[in-house]
Amino acid sequence: MAEISEPSKPPQLDSGTSEAGLSQFAFDPKTMRNTKPGFKRLILTISVFSSFLLGLPFLWKSVEIYRSPLPFRDIDALSSHIESSPLQFPCTFRVIFVGFDSMASRAEQLKSSILDEMIKLSSKSSLCGSCSNNYAVSVVIESGSDCSQTRSDASSCSWRCGALSASDFAASLENGLHSADDFLEVALGGCSKSASGGRVYSVVVMNRGENVEATIGKYRHGWIVGRVSEAEAISKVAETFVKLLGNGGREEGLIPGEFMPVGADGKIFLSFNLLNADPDDWIYDWDFQTVDEVLLKPLIKELSPIANVSVESQVLYHTPTSSFSYWDNKQESYIFSTKDLPFFVNSNEWHLDTSIAAGGRSKILHFVVYIPSARECPLLLQLPDGQISETNGFISPMWGGVIVWNPKGCLRDRESKQHHRHMISYPELEKIVEVFLGQFRQLFGLKSNPQHVGLSGTFNILTSEKGFTEWEMDFLSRQHSCFNLHSCASSLGSLSRLVQSLPRMIIIDEIGKQVKYSLEAATLAQKNASVGVFDAAAISSRQARSLAEDAFFHPSIMSVSYFSFEHCFAVYSPFFLPVALHLAHSLIMLGLCGHQHIQMSIEQCPLW
Amino acid sequence: MKMDSVLNAMASFLRLISLLCLPILFAVSAIGSVSEGVAEDFSEDLLLKPLPDRKVLAHFHFQSTAPSSRSNSYGRHHHLFPKAISQLVHKYRIKEMELSFTQGRWRYDRWGGFDPISSSNAKPSGVELWAVFDVPPNEVDATWKNLTHSLSGLFCASINFLESSTSYSAPKWGFHPASENMRYGTLPREAVCTENLTPWLKLLPCRDKSGLSVLMDRPSIYKGFYHSQRLHLLSSEYDSNAVDLAIVLDQTLTVVLQPHSHRGTLGYSTATQLQPSWSLSSIFGRRVTGKCALARSSNVYIQLDRGLMAELQGMLGEQEMFAIIGASSEGSGSNPAFELSANPDRVHMEISSRDDKHLSVLYMFMVEEKYDDSEPLDLRFTWKIPVAWSIPQAPLHVTRFLLGSGNERGAIALQLKSTKPSDRLMPDTVISDSCSLLVRVFQVVPWYIKVYYHTLQVFIDDRPHTIANVVEKMQVSPSKDKVSPGVMEMLLKFPCGLKSAALTIEFDKGFLHIDEYPPDAHQGLDIPSAVISFPDFFASTQFMENNISKSPILSKWQGQSPILSYTEVLLVPFTTPDFSMPYNVITITCTVLALYFGSLLNVLRRRVGEEERFMKSKGTNNFHVSHLVSKSLARLRGRQWEPSESQSSSSISNSKSKLLFKVILVAGLAAAWQYYFGSGT
Repeated sequence: MAEISEPSKPPQLDSGTSEAGLSQFAFDPKTMRNTKPGFKRLILTISVFSSFLLGLPFLWKSVEIYRSPLPFRDIDALSSHIESSPLQFPCTFRVIFVGFDSMASRAEQLKSSILDEMIKLSSKSSLCGSCSNNYAVSVVIESGSDCSQTRSDASSCSWRCGALSASDFAASLENGLHSADDFLEVALGGCSKSASGGRVYSVVVMNRGENVEATIGKYRHGWIVGRVSEAEAISKVAETFVKLLGNGGREEGLIPGEFMPVGADGKIFLSFNLLNADPDDWIYDWDFQTVDEVLLKPLIKELSPIANVSVESQVLYHTPTSSFSYWDNKQESYIFSTKDLPFFVNSNEWHLDTSIAAGGRSKILHFVVYIPSARECPLLLQLPDGQISETNGFISPMWGGVIVWNPKGCLRDRESKQHHRHMISYPELEKIVEVFLGQFRQLFGLKSNPQHVGLSGTFNILTSEKGFTEWEMDFLSRQHSCFNLHSCASSLGSLSRLVQSLPRMIIIDEIGKQVKYSLEAATLAQKNASVGVFDAAAISSRQARSLAEDAFFHPSIMSVSYFSFEHCFAVYSPFFLPVALHLAHSLIMLGLCGHQHIQMSIEQCPLW
Repeated sequence: MKMDSVLNAMASFLRLISLLCLPILFAVSAIGSVSEGVAEDFSEDLLLKPLPDRKVLAHFHFQSTAPSSRSNSYGRHHHLFPKAISQLVHKYRIKEMELSFTQGRWRYDRWGGFDPISSSNAKPSGVELWAVFDVPPNEVDATWKNLTHSLSGLFCASINFLESSTSYSAPKWGFHPASENMRYGTLPREAVCTENLTPWLKLLPCRDKSGLSVLMDRPSIYKGFYHSQRLHLLSSEYDSNAVDLAIVLDQTLTVVLQPHSHRGTLGYSTATQLQPSWSLSSIFGRRVTGKCALARSSNVYIQLDRGLMAELQGMLGEQEMFAIIGASSEGSGSNPAFELSANPDRVHMEISSRDDKHLSVLYMFMVEEKYDDSEPLDLRFTWKIPVAWSIPQAPLHVTRFLLGSGNERGAIALQLKSTKPSDRLMPDTVISDSCSLLVRVFQVVPWYIKVYYHTLQVFIDDRPHTIANVVEKMQVSPSKDKVSPGVMEMLLKFPCGLKSAALTIEFDKGFLHIDEYPPDAHQGLDIPSAVISFPDFFASTQFMENNISKSPILSKWQGQSPILSYTEVLLVPFTTPDFSMPYNVITITCTVLALYFGSLLNVLRRRVGEEERFMKSKGTNNFHVSHLVSKSLARLRGRQWEPSESQSSSSISNSKSKLLFKVILVAGLAAAWQYYFGSGT
């Protein structure tokens, strides 16, 4: 300290002076500074530093990328809601007892026992798109002039006493099941059509004759005829309602339910392919034009509420399978077994191709009719139990189906090279289309058995010419809206996870809007479903799904910014690093040495 | 969840569930008998032709036709015709389309320029696509863009780069006579390989499993000198006057191969050297074992062109010529000049309107049932006498090159040299007194080549000519920067006796933004081929027999195809920036700014006068440079610097805190480093 007091020079005018100096030189108090020395520099440094700090958010903002805010919380809520409680629809059921004199005044009691039975059956299955467990059941007992019924809700279609005459129904039964079905459709009338409050499924129980026979028609009703005890009737009715009318007759585990073969844009392309394994042996062609017009048109019309179906076909040649078959003497044919199926579809040689006509998100279902070459004809599919498959075909969920079609007498014709071009005859084509319809129904998760073997006996199931009966269509549209919501929730969930995991992904406003509308549509669909308006629920669920998919597959979502953090560092560090060093240095100098810095020797200040 | 469901779908796809149950026999109403009469058709042809430079041309031609969709609501059901192409035609309403994938350059002087093959199958290297649409003019661009994407998916090629408006143009009349709603684009740098051939083969009903396409052994056809795979689509689907054939799809593959010469040495043929003999197995490595079962006709042709026939005529006597022409009637298809391993099923002679003997000959071999695996068709062509000939050429031989040097400006020169075609080839209009030769030029120039159209100069026989005398018709649409390329269409009229003509046009090279440079920018940028056509000349070959129109090759040849030739692709070297330049600029700028900022801060903050004064006072206390140096040396050695004077105890505690601070600082820096870069990687 002493050395400072020694300077021979007079102190500078503008700079602060030491205390020792002050004591020696007299100053004019007016011109003399009254602030501490170093204060100005402190202010200066701090202001520069703080402007530096203030600039940082701007810098951050300028390198930030645009991300439209997404309602992550709503998406999570939707996903968790759909995950936890599958969408279920309220369904209305009605039982009509005809010719039961003994149970005159027990409608309410019957109702409660049927309900108990139904809940017992349904407790195990909470399939997506099935009827919810609080069933609305009404019971009508018609016995001659006497007619009693349970109190019905105002919303459901009320029953008009005497609408169903036992003798007429019995007469129509004589003419076969289909005429009885049509008779009931007329008699039960408007209630099965979509009235206010949804459709009513009815079962008529008639005490007549000996054999008990339960049948489900192709509309929205079934009947049980025969000498049937009350308990039996109740269990049969309950099963009809829960397993068949409510659940479409499907069992769990057949096909995983989430896979509805409908594209995200609500379109299905049925691509029919006739594969000639080796055209040098024989060439088969088909007249698919007629098949399309005659056999497939009604099906397409029937399915229109669920999906927009288009049909196209082609014939391909030189398409061997990649699996091998072996000769079986007993069957006099070549056999391939179910374990070969994964190798049957030969994606190298079967250039089935996606369709250019189809949009990006339509579902294409391939149906392949495979004509084996002379080397392996006839070719039969062996089931795991050793039986030969009657359809000689198999399906692959979400992909389509394969039918192996053996030309007649191909074993005999093999030697004679007298081929060549054949047409598949129309009756043969009809058979192929029947198998196809079965496969198609199976892709939708519906069984094609003419009989349903349930817990309480077998049920006859009538079929419709259109391929799907009305109650099956109801079930499909319920299921469809449920799966749509599922898929919407999963798309949105994936989107939100993706967006959250990639902080440098640009999200434009359009995506945000799509997500918003999709959520709105999903909520609407849920609301409609809970009220029981199937159609509106299906429509808004489809909307929700398609919007969610639009958002997920938006082209701009691919443009993840490759403007990496390292790039930021590389661009800005050449400026900020040297400047920051200067600043830091001066700050440290100020902070550590403060205003004494002048008085101290440089080397005494730390860091220097 | 999305991913999960996709995985699940895949899993269940593998877990094929067989349809075990018997389906209900759905009631279906039977209708009348199956309607016959599918008019879809397919035929295949292969043409082989010896070329004067000891090579062999192989030209595959596959034709598929489909009936109109209006007659029987056809269009969604296909039997032979490829579904993808039909859907393409219907979706984009295509009237005509041509897509070619080419590798190598067609040598017009050696391989011919005046026959249907050279005018329709000699293509510029890379990808060329043009299409005519039947849509309102304002939708053409959008349709084109969608089409490029579809085709790029269909053919595994980067055709989608033609989507950008800078890469395609709309020719008016210079490229194709009826080119309303037409778009044209090329990708000169597109590499062509098997991944393009496989989807192309998929459009054939037999693919390469049987028929003539079996010969397409990939190594053989890709090691050729020229390889062009082309797909031409003609649709009258939207024509008001309906024809029965709605879509005609022509698929051709043209390859020029070098046969392995068994005798004679390699090298360019001279009159004394025997041309190499070849067979199907020697040039392709495979043999034809039968026709495609679906083809209506399947023929192999061997063509001897007019030049060769003229040469043979000069060398051989009339009797021997008869042996060549009437090979089918004779024993083994042998004659004094060459020998064919099999007897041709038919010999087609070209007929000419003027009585001239220089006619080409076409030997036809039908691929019939008689060939199979044990006895394949292996056509062999063996020369007996050395022959050298020249092949018919287009009236003008065209070359295009660049003038000028440097990276700033240059000029494109188009040189046309007369090949002195014989009078026979000249059409009647040319021979008449007002003798003139019409030449059409179509040139697309990318926008970064800024062409000054007013600098167009014409030289005829090396003397400059006024443009007005030569250019009959000219249409120019100048390029717009980053929007559209420049298009020049010209109809030139030259005097008949011209020896050579040249067109030059100057250009400046534009500056490109850093991200507009293509990959490998140092190679230079391409100017696509110019298309030169001769509107008065047509390559058409008439044959004596009339009942041969069924074969796609011959029916194609009998039609009038305009003579076209493509010029070379020009490679323009460009000034390429140092692509790391942005970072360099940033670094320099930032360093300058940081220096400025730092010194400003120092000026504001430090008290220089005070320090100087302080230094001076220290100077008495040995505060020198040597002092500083010894101090820093000591620091380097890691020892505490001991000043000459004894330190007070306070300085020791000071140095301890200094050390502590340093340790903390280093640790903090390391932590920051770890935080940013550890998380970054």
